Amino acid sequence: MLSPKRTKYRKAFKGRIHGLAKGGTALNFGAYGMKAVEPGRVTARQIEAARRAISRHIRRVGRVWIRIFPDVPVSSKPAEVRMGSGKGTPEFWIARVKPGRIMFELDGVPVDTAREAFTLAAAKLPISVRFVQRLGEEA
Amino acid sequence: MSEIIVLEAEARDRAGKGAARATRRAGRIPAVLYGDKKEPVMLSLDPKLFGRQLHKPGFFSHLFDLNIDGTKHRALPRDVQLHPVTDEPLHVDFVRVTAHTKTHVNVPVHFENHLASPGLKRGGVLNVVRHDIELSVSADSIPERIDVDLTGLEIGDSVHISAIKLPAGAHPVIADRDFTIATIAAPTVKTDETAAEGEAAAV
Repeated sequence: MLSPKRTKYRKAFKGRIHGLAKGGTALNFGAYGMKAVEPGRVTARQIEAARRAISRHIRRVGRVWIRIFPDVPVSSKPAEVRMGSGKGTPEFWIARVKPGRIMFELDGVPVDTAREAFTLAAAKLPISVRFVQRLGEEA
Repeated sequence: MSEIIVLEAEARDRAGKGAARATRRAGRIPAVLYGDKKEPVMLSLDPKLFGRQLHKPGFFSHLFDLNIDGTKHRALPRDVQLHPVTDEPLHVDFVRVTAHTKTHVNVPVHFENHLASPGLKRGGVLNVVRHDIELSVSADSIPERIDVDLTGLEIGDSVHISAIKLPAGAHPVIADRDFTIATIAAPTVKTDETAAEGEAAAV
């Protein structure tokens, strides 16, 4: 699973996701991509599950790029612990995704395979996404 | 040479984001035509007609004849701003050209003879490094596309710009090095997955 090698601070605020993506909204590597259409927090586990769904579907051909990185730690308190006594320990990592962000890119496979692979991967994600293609290559 | 596309446009009088937004509210796409040492002209385009051209291959390497209220202006699309979520065009830039204007254009690369490449047959992946190549070319001889022949390429082979026969008068803008257009890579997905599965089994 993806996680930062080291961080400046161990714990982060929860934050809110406002606005639209400012960068990473166009395809940079592959011919097909998966674009977020709503904001959300995607965990490293969900990214890995989606990546596996794509790689399993396209089998030995093609290439996948992951365009988001889970760099925000999420902490939680253990069960049956009274409130107070500080913030809990970091449990997992999330990526904050804004609408418009390209999350995955894919190349080297036919368009139908790419579409199907992204449909399977989208089922692993907590936000709704859209299939996108390079400009001028739409059928 | 690529064909010249005729596109209907209407002139608009005001510049700025307020005017551009008003144009969008009216159901049209704001655009601008500039260059050739003349005054810029603000335009608006029909989204349906423009969208049809935008989604054709090689949009940026096609010459346009903009029919602005009866007068024709030859232009090249320079930039298209897209909405980050919906990918609808928000604004279009056109630059005026004459037949002898030397210009920089991104020409799409087209790969052919996939089946004649032993590397691709053995499961290799065509890793496209550049989907289009920026050429310095005169406006009347912009090529439709650049064909790259994959015949005989093995896994690990790559196609460089020196191997491509460009049309007469066209030069790549990157002239200081023999840059790569595509490589035939070993399938990375398989190794990736086995590694991930090994990792999962170890946990």
